[in-house]
Amino acid sequence: MTAVSSGRKILDFSMNNAVWILLILAIGIMGLFRPSFFSVGILSNILVQATVLGLLAIAISMVILLGDINLSTVGTAGFSALTGVIAMKAGLPVPLAILVIVIMGSLIGLVNGLIVTKLRANALITTLAMNMVLQGALLAITGGSSLSNLPDSFKFVSQGRIAGFPALPLVLIVVFFLFHIIWTRTEFGRDLFAVGGNPRAAYIAGIKVDRVKIGAYVISGLLSGLAGWLLAGYMGAVTSSFGTTYEMQVIAAAVIGGVSLTGGRGSILGVLAGTLLLTVIQVGLAILGIQQTLITLAGGLMIFAAVLIDALRNLYGARRSS
Amino acid sequence: MSQPLLRVTNVSKIFGATRALSGANLDIAAGEIHSLLGRNGAGKSTLVNIIAGVYPQTEGDVVFDGHDLRKLDIFARQKLGIRLVPQHENSFPDLTVAENIFAGDLPKKNGLVDWSTINEVAAQELAAYGVDADPRGMVRDLSSIDARKLNIIRSMHSGARLIILDEPTTALTTREREELFAFVRDLKAMGTAFIFISHYLGEVLDLSDSISVLRDGLMYPVEDRASATQEHLGELVAGGQVELTRRRAERPDPSDVLVQIRGLRSAGVEDVDLGIRRGEVLGIIGFPGSGAREFCRALFGADRVTSGTVHLEGRLVRLSSPRQALREGIAYISFDRHREGIMPLMDVNENIGISSHAGALRRAWGFLDLKRQRQRSQQYRDELKIKCNTIFDPMDSLSGGNQQKVLVSRLLSTQPSLLILDEPTVGIDILSREEIISKVLELTRTGMSALYLTNDYEELLRVADRLVFFDEGRVASVVDNDDLTIEQLTQIRDSNKEAASA
Repeated sequence: MTAVSSGRKILDFSMNNAVWILLILAIGIMGLFRPSFFSVGILSNILVQATVLGLLAIAISMVILLGDINLSTVGTAGFSALTGVIAMKAGLPVPLAILVIVIMGSLIGLVNGLIVTKLRANALITTLAMNMVLQGALLAITGGSSLSNLPDSFKFVSQGRIAGFPALPLVLIVVFFLFHIIWTRTEFGRDLFAVGGNPRAAYIAGIKVDRVKIGAYVISGLLSGLAGWLLAGYMGAVTSSFGTTYEMQVIAAAVIGGVSLTGGRGSILGVLAGTLLLTVIQVGLAILGIQQTLITLAGGLMIFAAVLIDALRNLYGARRSS
Repeated sequence: MSQPLLRVTNVSKIFGATRALSGANLDIAAGEIHSLLGRNGAGKSTLVNIIAGVYPQTEGDVVFDGHDLRKLDIFARQKLGIRLVPQHENSFPDLTVAENIFAGDLPKKNGLVDWSTINEVAAQELAAYGVDADPRGMVRDLSSIDARKLNIIRSMHSGARLIILDEPTTALTTREREELFAFVRDLKAMGTAFIFISHYLGEVLDLSDSISVLRDGLMYPVEDRASATQEHLGELVAGGQVELTRRRAERPDPSDVLVQIRGLRSAGVEDVDLGIRRGEVLGIIGFPGSGAREFCRALFGADRVTSGTVHLEGRLVRLSSPRQALREGIAYISFDRHREGIMPLMDVNENIGISSHAGALRRAWGFLDLKRQRQRSQQYRDELKIKCNTIFDPMDSLSGGNQQKVLVSRLLSTQPSLLILDEPTVGIDILSREEIISKVLELTRTGMSALYLTNDYEELLRVADRLVFFDEGRVASVVDNDDLTIEQLTQIRDSNKEAASA
């Protein structure tokens, strides 16, 4: 009897923490093949790589929590970074240029939010179109070339070091902590979950549904802009295909992290785990020396495995509660 | 004695550590209507699910028409003629009436669907059962009563001999309920047997040949069917005396008007003038489409108010949205608990607190006072006797009655001056119902007023001080509830209707 229940407890625990267990397994396996994986250099490199993906993953999660989807996070990041860099090259001081990037991101989010709420347009198509417009504009304005030679002060956070450690992961930690607080302890955060879980009931319960939705889109855009700045600083340039490697990973990180695509369910710790898992897979495959032509395939298969485990976890949860 | 159609002998069901059903016995003859009464979780669903083959019994035998059902799955039992018609309509709203009747077994000609046969046969069956519906029409467009009848016709089409109706009268008007009962009686006369599950004691007495009460997994057959009364059944269901809550004898002061409504118009509401007295329970009566529900929703800002004014305590209220109404002191509990009530993914604590985010729980910088939220939830849990392990239980783990108590807590915690209750006791057990009603009556004693809209007139006459009858979007009459009977009430309601159409 006790054996059964403790076995069940272990199963419960593993199911609830499947992503973290996968993350540890992934790191362990990588380390087994390449002991150098455990070096400070590589581990800190993973955190650096995870920062941009992490910000984009929260950005998309803000909208997925509503039960909508935002496919324009990467486009927003690229276009916002471009406007800031152009303004900077035109003589705007660096701090103001960074502000321009963040404001541009928020404005794009605002446009998305207004179209989806006030015009009741479908979020998937709206943000898909927005993403194409933004990436198209980026390509048109840069003419296929890159804007580089960015000043060091612009790149400070992305490439700088504090006491020998890269500064970038600090942003990751601060932002995740901040959003953990927002999601769990603020009126906006709880309203966000309520609207995602049952929008009609949220309205009847006295929540300003449209305002919460627009707020979520604006913050989604703001975070995308922030990610754009950090990525531009990290690469030292705004390229015409800016950020496209993140495109699919962003959704995967959020969903693997347990943010429900039907809305109303998710945790910031889960998003962090999803982000780290995908980054470890990505970096690990490169370090293992997998041929460049196979990396997308291998990465895709591993994400698939993670998604299947997530699906099993949901099935298991549904069976337990019924 | 001849063999009964269904014989359940000593059936038990154990889920994990819970004994959901113990030693149940039940005999049903062809053409018999047998009612099952009991609170949520008493074992009614377990018993009918075992009979229908949703899951197997732990021990005991179920025999239907001489067949031992033990080895037969749900589909084999359907072939034998056992049909479960669930509480929520399980038709396909975007298919035609005829398609719904034939669903799963469309006749074909040369491999293609044979539409002419389908529509022809469906029309015959609809006519045979006295349902006036176009077989080519969409089920979406049917009235709720016809949709329910259609569910039963579907069962009959596939040769049902025992039909299990799980709370079929939920959200039906009295007239529709009568219509459904007449329909069931017709089928009974043709030899179909029914198991009827309901919370309403009155309709159970009205309809059934025999009655069993389930309580804590044990079955109590009502021996003396002929002399059974509502009080007697209520006691059996609750396992003791249920105190039926009644309004107090003294009346609210007619001159002390809390809410004054003038010329209110909104979709389905035409020019309503009405005063609501402080501390009164004002019963709202009207057929669907009469404007009764529309009036309640407009007063909460859930439907758009096109013109008219509402003064509360002499102050003009803005009714732009539910949020604004709550701020003004007007709260509303929707008839649709699932769509407009509960937050299924959140816990009990958050479900209670959600309407106070912008009010009592607000702190600086957009933070919520989570400690206060927990304290208040705990307090309401105790006051309304909400059954959950902790206030952090997920909302969807609660029974309907307890979910409704959570919603009542949510709105009472906003400290409303006017509480609008739209079918607050639909589909919930008797004990929860009385606890909710007595809480509402208690608060009216401290000056809160309540609008009470329900089709359960027995309940309405117990709680209301006055009754407002709606017809064609207007107030047809306002009557003091001086120990009115249900007959008097329906008479007033129907004479209003006739006067309007004359």
